[in-house]
Parts: sequence; structure tokens; C-alpha cells
Amino acid sequence: MIQAKKMTENIVEVSNLVKSYNGIPAVKGINFTIHRGEIFGLLGPNGAGKTTTISILTCLLLPTSGTAIIAGHDVVSKAKTVKGIIGLVPQDLAIYPQLSARDNLLFFGRIYGLKGRKLQQRADDLLEMVGLFERANDPVNTFSGGMKRRVNIAAGLLHQPQVLFLDEPTVGVDPQSRNFIFDNIEQLNEQGMTILYTTHYMEEAERLCHHVAIIDQGEIIALDTPKALIDRVGGGIIRLGLSETTTEMFIAQVKTLPAVKDVSCQDSILSVQAHHTQEALIQIIQLFNTAKVTITTLEVLEPNLESVFLHLTGRRLRD
Amino acid sequence: MILRHIIAITWKDLKILVRDRGALAVLFAMPVGFVLVMTTALGGLFGGGESAISVLVVSEDKGYLSTQIVEGLKVAEGFKVETEWEGQPLTRAKAEELIISQKRQLAVILPADFSQYILGDALPSQSSELQTTTIQLMVDPALSPEFTGPIVGTLQGLLLQALMPVGIERLLDQIAPGMPQEQRLIFIEQARQGMLIGMSIEQITPPGMSLRQLPNTTQQNVPSYTLFGVFFICQVIALSLIREKQDGTFRRLLAAPLSKSALLIGKLLPYYLVNLIQIVLIFAAGIWIVPLLGNPALNLGAHPEGLIVVSLAAAAAASGLGLLVATLVKTAEATGGLSALIAVMMAAVGGCFVPAFVMPNFMQTLSKLVPHAWALQGYQDILVRGYGLSQVMPEVGVLLIFAIAFFGLALWRFRFD
Repeated sequence: MIQAKKMTENIVEVSNLVKSYNGIPAVKGINFTIHRGEIFGLLGPNGAGKTTTISILTCLLLPTSGTAIIAGHDVVSKAKTVKGIIGLVPQDLAIYPQLSARDNLLFFGRIYGLKGRKLQQRADDLLEMVGLFERANDPVNTFSGGMKRRVNIAAGLLHQPQVLFLDEPTVGVDPQSRNFIFDNIEQLNEQGMTILYTTHYMEEAERLCHHVAIIDQGEIIALDTPKALIDRVGGGIIRLGLSETTTEMFIAQVKTLPAVKDVSCQDSILSVQAHHTQEALIQIIQLFNTAKVTITTLEVLEPNLESVFLHLTGRRLRD
Repeated sequence: MILRHIIAITWKDLKILVRDRGALAVLFAMPVGFVLVMTTALGGLFGGGESAISVLVVSEDKGYLSTQIVEGLKVAEGFKVETEWEGQPLTRAKAEELIISQKRQLAVILPADFSQYILGDALPSQSSELQTTTIQLMVDPALSPEFTGPIVGTLQGLLLQALMPVGIERLLDQIAPGMPQEQRLIFIEQARQGMLIGMSIEQITPPGMSLRQLPNTTQQNVPSYTLFGVFFICQVIALSLIREKQDGTFRRLLAAPLSKSALLIGKLLPYYLVNLIQIVLIFAAGIWIVPLLGNPALNLGAHPEGLIVVSLAAAAAASGLGLLVATLVKTAEATGGLSALIAVMMAAVGGCFVPAFVMPNFMQTLSKLVPHAWALQGYQDILVRGYGLSQVMPEVGVLLIFAIAFFGLALWRFRFD
């Protein structure tokens, strides 16, 4: 995990942002800020509102209400200015498969106003960065999925944006390419680029992000550093399936166990935050044995962002 | 900056198109192939080519009148007369065999008593009983009446021409037996040449229309299939736009400081240019390749600049149609089918496959609702009717109205995502 840097200036400020489609809210009044030079993760399951949020911030969608400011410019009233200082790497492979990797980069570079030797040099540098210089003149449709993803990322970097929006950039990518992409992102961040990274892979958010906002059903339900978020679940989570009649009765008793930090109950599932999962598990089993209560299911979760999401929503990120 | 964006997008799309073999086949190989095949195949229907329908002529009569009929058929336009097969004079049996084996479709058989009948017994003289003889037209039952009709008409004309002098001679015998021989011969010769009553048929054209050349298979098929190919660009344009939507490249481009109008112009301009290249290539095929297959070369007429203006307007209408088709579908699969259907149906209604003048009235009216008909009319005004630029401006105007209507509807419906 990247250590938090000293980042104080806000480059992205989102206030009470709402987006509704035909009266159905997709984003429900979210607020967050991103410091210049940080990697900010937007973590949530599919359909949580991540892409809608990114679409508003990249001037592709108008918000229903609320404001979003990037580098001091409103994304609605100063859209053209904002578009010049941001880069978007969409979730889709938004490149031209018939063209070579170099032709793709040259085209997107021209769209951002680059030309001549500077454009050629920039394209070569990016091809080098994403490890495709040797295949630069091959059509993209001859590339593996991971290589295409790397071209997709490079195409968003030609104009050296201040803020880069990476929307699920590793979907369908093999582990080798995924690590290559992570290295690229860390390298870009080292160079000072601010990155908003959406994903539903918690390990990516843990590895890359300085701050993570967990978004679910259009709302941000937690926002902190990955470490602070993970600390919320202590040493881990124990999830116990009990019969409906016994669940409520035992919440108070389990809370008193020394290795237990907190307990919640949802849908006959007892979710136990433990200081130490192994000790807590022994204590809980002893308690239920004594009371002759049958445990129908048992699951022990490591302390990570996945268990944080499960603890907060009762659902898994990839449900 | 907008111009640079347009150029960048245009250049990118041209590069993609050059790599798209399917699109190139649809845009270039298909119309050129149609021109070459249909020009050759329909040579007989439109005339002017070497492939006019063959007519076997079997003359069982050895008299000079049957020879006169055969020679008359040989010089008639629209069909080719064959009196021999493999170096041997044709017989009735051979003609039957050739038609049964479908090597030929039609034979004219002059009976053995043909000359004798006309010269001796054809017209009533002393006898009150009328004798008859029959010229037979042996046809493949599958042959369309459009082919037999002109031959029957020609035969009737030739027969009349053959019978007339004999009839005049008989008549003079009855009414002016004392006429000097010299004067009789003048009457008979005038009758033979069809000049007895000083009447002839002359083909003329209305003032302002100079018929440079009778419309032949090349002049019908080259502009027709050029337009068929030009409007097929709607499939390629629509597919390109749908793919940009599906692949998310529009989304990426719209997140860049790029105006929507520059994006759309940049998307359409390459296909407009491709249309113009198509037209040049297909017309070039009409001029230089079609003659190699034994058909007349395309003659561009006296005012080829008119062809350029009609082409520019037709290509604009085709681009507009492409954009409109892209607004009607959501997937590449649906785009292929719908755009092909639209392109083929409009071409058919517009007279690209069958000339509008042979269509029923309601179809001719319907054809005015598609740009193909106007473009085709514009082309043929220049190629066949000898019109100049100012005279095709009405067609050009209608084509531009089609273009504006297509673009207007398309822009009203178009969504980038």
C-alpha cells in the first residue's frame, strides 16, 4: 500500500452531487474531495454509481443537482476547460482495434491538440511505459486483453492530464498485465498525477489508493484511508448463521465476550467484529455449545476492504 | 482547432476503412461487379452491345423474297440473325435441336412455298379462294414476350415491304393494263422502297434535348449501379457510428475538448470522400473495362461537369441517409441488416435495377420519393439527353433537399451514447 503523502490542496471537490434518470436516483447526494497528487479509490459493486459519478466529473453527464469542481473549474459551466486538464480511461476498451497501437495514440494525441515531433515523442514514451513499444505498429486487434487495456490507458495520458479517471481499468486482465498496470499507475502518481480509480476489486483499492470511498446504491457509505477502513473490522469478521429465534437472544451475550469488538445482526446472520478472530471464535463456540444452539453456517473473514463492505452492507462487492 | 479535429477524425476513419475488407468489397467490388455483370447480361435488352438476342433464321424457300426478308432481319436492330450453324445452313431440325438444348431461344422459319405464294398465289386475282402460307416463329416457351414482340413486328414490316410491289403490280394489271412499262416499273420500285405515298419515320428529339446516343446497356447500368453502391455507404457509415458508440470511443472523445459538430463532420467527411472516389472508379470501369467485355464504352456526354455536381449532391444525400440509419438501430448486427434492406429497396424503387419507365405508374410516382431516382435522372440527363449543368439543377436541388431532410432527422434523433 502506498504511504499517504503530504497532500493538502484539493483538486477535486464534489458537493451534494445527485444524478437521477427518469426520477430514479443513481447518485444520491455524494460528497468527497481529492487531494492533488493522490490516488483516490471509488470502491463499490456493479451498479453502485461509480461510472455515473465519473461521467459527471468528466463532463459527459450533467448532474441533476450539486456541484463538482476540478482544479477550480466547475464541470458544468467550465466543461471545455475541465476537459483539457482531465484524462479518461473508460471501462470499455475505447480504442480502435483495426489501427495499430501507435496510430491509436497519435489519433488521440491530435484530438488533444498535440502535433509533430512532440506528438510522436509522447506516443513513443507512452508505448515504452506500457511495454508495447516493440508491438507499436501491430493492429490492436492482434493484442491480448491485457495489452489492449494498456493501450487503453496510454490513450488517456497523451496530454499529461492533471487528473486521470481510471474506470475499472483491469477488468478481464491477466495477472501479469494487471501488475504491469498497477506499476504504471504508481509511476504516474509518483510523477504527481492525481488519479481517481474506480474498481470493484478490493485488493486493487487496498494496494493503490490513499483514500477510498465505498459507494453503494448511489451513496458513499464510508470514506477513509484503506487502513482506517480495515481497522473498522478489527481483527476480522466472524459470520454465524443461526435459527431466527435464537439470533436476537444471543447478540447481547456475544457482545460481552472479551475477544469481540462489536456485533450486528442481519437476516439471521450474526456478524461479529473480533479483536482477534481465533480467540473470539473459541469463545463464541463455547457459548453456543453451552446453550445448545446449533450454528448452521460459519464464515471467518480476513480484515480487508471486502469484509468492510460486507460488514457495512451485508452484501459482497461482487454479488 | 476544429479543422484539425475534423482532419484527425477523417484521417483516422479512412485508415480504418482501408483495413476493412468487407466494407471495401461492399463499396467498390460490389458496384463494379454489378456494372460489369449486368451491363453484359442486359446487353440484349437495351441494345447497343454485341450480345443482342440471337435469332435463328431457317429459309426453306430459295426465292429472292425470302432472301430479302432474311437480309431485312439482319440489318434490323435489337437482335442478331444466324442463318448457319457450325458452317452449315440451318435446317428446321437443327433449329429445333438448338432450342430444345437451350443454346438458342428463337427461330424464324420461312416456308418452302414462301416466294411462290407471294409471287404466284398470294393475292386474289382470278380465283376467289384465298390461299395461305405461314411463317413460323419457333420459341423457347420460357422466352419473354418482350423479346418476341420486336421480332414479330420487324417480320410484319418486312412482309409488307415484300408484298407491296407484288400487290401494286397486280393492281396495275387490273386497273391500268395500258400503262407504259417504264411508268409501271417506277411505281413498283417506289412501292418496294416504301415511298409510294411519300411517308417515312424519322426519330427526332424535342428542342434542347440532343440525343447524343440511344441509351444502351452501359448508360443504363453504370449510373444505376454507381448509385446503388453510393447509397450502400449508409451501411458503412451506420456501422462505423454504432461501433464508436459500442466500443466507448465516442465517450472517450466527448471527454476531450472536442465539439460534437467537429466529431460528426469528421465522422461523415471520409465517407463522403469515399463516395466520390467510388463514383470516379465505377465510371472509369464503364469507360475502360466495360468495352473489354464487348459492350459499348460509357460516353460522359457533352457536359461532364454536370455529372460532378449530381455526384456531389447524391453523395451528400447518401451520407445523410447513413447518419439517419445509425439513429434507427442500436447494434451492429441490426445495422447491417437494416441498412442493406434500405439500400437495396431504395435502389429498386429508384430504378437502379429496372428502369423507372418500365414500371407501373404508381411505382414511377413512388420512385420520386427516393433520391436514387433523382440522381439517376440527373446522370441520364447528362449522359443520354445531352443536357448541361443548368438543366440538371432541379435534380441537384431535390437531392440536396433529401440530404438536408436526412441530416435534419438524423441530428434530431442522434445520441452519442
